[in-house]
Amino acid sequence: MSRTILVGENLAMNVDTERWTCAACTRELGPARENFKHGLLVHERDPREIHPPLIEGPFTFSPDPTWIRILEFYCPGCGVQIETEYLPPGHPVTNTTEIDVDALKRRLGAGELVIENGRLKVVDA
Amino acid sequence: MSIPTLEEKLRALKVSAPTAIEEACLAKVSRGDYEIGVQRTADILDEGYEVFMRSCRSSMGIAGDSIVAIFNAAGDLVNASAGTYLHAVIPPIVIKYILSRYRENPGIEDGDIWYTNDALYGGIHNPDQVAIVPVFYDAELIGWTAALSHTTETGAKEPGGMPLSATSRFDEGMNLPPTKIGKNFRLNEDIIELFAAFGIRAEQMVTVDLKARATAADRVRTRLVEMCDREGVDFVRGLFRKMLMEAESGARRRLRAWPDGVYRCVNFSDAAGLERGLIRNCAMTMTKKGDTLLVDFSGTSPENLSSYNAHPQAVVGHLANYIYEYVFHDLPISSATFQPIDFVFPEGSCLSPTPRAATSNSVMICTGAMSAIANCIGRARFATSEWRQVTASMGNGGNASVIAGLSQWNVPFADMLAYPINTEGQGARACCDGMNAYGFPWCAFGRAPDVESMENEFPMLVPFSQHWPDSGGHGKFRGGVGTAQFWSAHHVPMVFFMSIADNSTIQTPQPLFGGYAPPTVPGVTLKGVNVTELVGKLGSTPLDFKSLIEGKYGELVAEPYGRSVRPVGEEQTLTIGLSTGGAGYGDPLERDPRDVERDLVAGLVSEWSATHVYKVVWDPKKERVDLDATAKARADERRARLERGKPFHEFVKGWSEKKPPADVLQLYGSWPDAKPLQPVFRP
Repeated sequence: MSRTILVGENLAMNVDTERWTCAACTRELGPARENFKHGLLVHERDPREIHPPLIEGPFTFSPDPTWIRILEFYCPGCGVQIETEYLPPGHPVTNTTEIDVDALKRRLGAGELVIENGRLKVVDA
Repeated sequence: MSIPTLEEKLRALKVSAPTAIEEACLAKVSRGDYEIGVQRTADILDEGYEVFMRSCRSSMGIAGDSIVAIFNAAGDLVNASAGTYLHAVIPPIVIKYILSRYRENPGIEDGDIWYTNDALYGGIHNPDQVAIVPVFYDAELIGWTAALSHTTETGAKEPGGMPLSATSRFDEGMNLPPTKIGKNFRLNEDIIELFAAFGIRAEQMVTVDLKARATAADRVRTRLVEMCDREGVDFVRGLFRKMLMEAESGARRRLRAWPDGVYRCVNFSDAAGLERGLIRNCAMTMTKKGDTLLVDFSGTSPENLSSYNAHPQAVVGHLANYIYEYVFHDLPISSATFQPIDFVFPEGSCLSPTPRAATSNSVMICTGAMSAIANCIGRARFATSEWRQVTASMGNGGNASVIAGLSQWNVPFADMLAYPINTEGQGARACCDGMNAYGFPWCAFGRAPDVESMENEFPMLVPFSQHWPDSGGHGKFRGGVGTAQFWSAHHVPMVFFMSIADNSTIQTPQPLFGGYAPPTVPGVTLKGVNVTELVGKLGSTPLDFKSLIEGKYGELVAEPYGRSVRPVGEEQTLTIGLSTGGAGYGDPLERDPRDVERDLVAGLVSEWSATHVYKVVWDPKKERVDLDATAKARADERRARLERGKPFHEFVKGWSEKKPPADVLQLYGSWPDAKPLQPVFRP
């Protein structure tokens, strides 16, 4: 049985296959040594579609779309929204989570950590 | 001059090596006695904190935006009562500075009162001021105590201590390096007069707060001396050292549980003082390895010609707000918990500016760091059994408004209104929504004053106060909503008003795991409306946020929330004070429809958001969601996502060719890596 940890609300990492997976539908999303966003669908959204302007003018309660956009990242299998990031247009997408897979395997192998219900737990010496 | 270097400041945050005496004293602290001793320090500090709040005169002091702390003889923070966790980083730097520079001249003696508010020497910004007193027992220096709080007047070019128009430290009023301001347990009268002169806009507030700090620090000192009388000085010395050892051990144990890796977050803001422009106010790379963290701010935008800069220890203080509240919540507030954490600050950035920089609004530029640390630690921690303590970022708006002038009691005043800052929404949690109007991200325990207290204290009327609908970031779990209050000048012919914040064009917090950020926050007023007459006409009909914003009662003027000082006539609108909501967590389509129903009924989310963001089908007459229709609408939306979403590499081809307009990037630095493009000159 392969070992999986939950890395986000709908993002998991299979430690044995070293693959990202969708926690909602279990679809494989790509190598765990790469940015998990590479395996997701991306949609650029005008922020006014989520934060509607309440008044007219330049200051409306809504972010200005010439300054900032919302990137939505979806699982290509089930469409769950795994991530969002508010970025200025053209700003590089952030690799938010770069887990040291080798260190994790080493610690699990040494019995320093165990996985219970998808969560890492320290084994008391 | 002898300004401490960045290396010296960061070194001062580390715990000193135990002395031979301390090591010998450790043996005096047995199990049981240790736990009682720890609790005794907490009780002493809680007493000091209570004395402090009751002695302060300014709004933030009364609200509890403060800390009272105990240190060992070397200046390591042993424990504190707060208040505001960010203050915890200041005194070790200041005490170690005093010990290294002033041991001989002017000397360190029993009864001394030391003081500073200068960020160049270790502070956060100059409204944050600290009184520090040494603790002597049998003529031996055995420790220090300190009391810190924010006083909203410094004699700067604008009232309120956080001038938006400051371009260098020379515009910021009093900046007092570590100075002995009292001896033999008495404040020097000439120093009190100096404070009164700098605080002439609100002399009573400034001098009373000064005395409150000295009073609170001395109360803690007195109790420590009593503890030495009762338990023995060696026990107290050993207790302090053991507390540091245990705190460090606890912090390392917690960090060890997280998976090693690199976690990143970038955050943006939209203004530096009165100048508008995009700023990457934090580029955080957090490397977790073993039981250590390295937090690197490389990639943060350059320093700017405003007061929106922060010296590095102030940035560390802002991380402490989150770390002590969420990560080390069960450990003492102690230098030792930061022992495993190191920092990299790029010189010349807005988070490590040159010495002449204005930094009185450091708290505004640090909102990025506050948000980023919640995001990075949340990602590192989610894979562990501590996952329930993960939260999305607070809103970190800090939408502070200042009013000044002559009060209805004929007293000069200049103060920050504590209500809006102390009623922000909490970031959504991994297991539930963020709390509505939970508090102040800079001061989790800050108290929002009653409307009646505000009206009694200041020349103002508050005819409306409620939760601000849709202000919490949407998500599976919603960010807590903030608040809205309507203020007008009252009882006096005129008051001065100013407001400090950004986030009117974009919001700084990044959401977590598929949620959304809170909305932006404009500065809004009603033009030409006599508010007292309006309230009289309305009779028992309550005001509400929607009607005010839609201009039902008069023309609405919207501008940036941060506004330089201006006069406001009697009965005219000061502003509609807005307190930011927290960021959202998780996919909004996964939110329980019944929770959306509950929010609709409570007026916390709008029908628009319920329909367009949460895809809930809602019958407003029955005030019920249609669960079957909602399930269908959500399934349709998931299919629509699959149709409109592009594969990452295909998306990036088009995305990477975009760029914000040049006029938006004036404060940003080079695009997109935010390196300085030219030096900042401050004559």
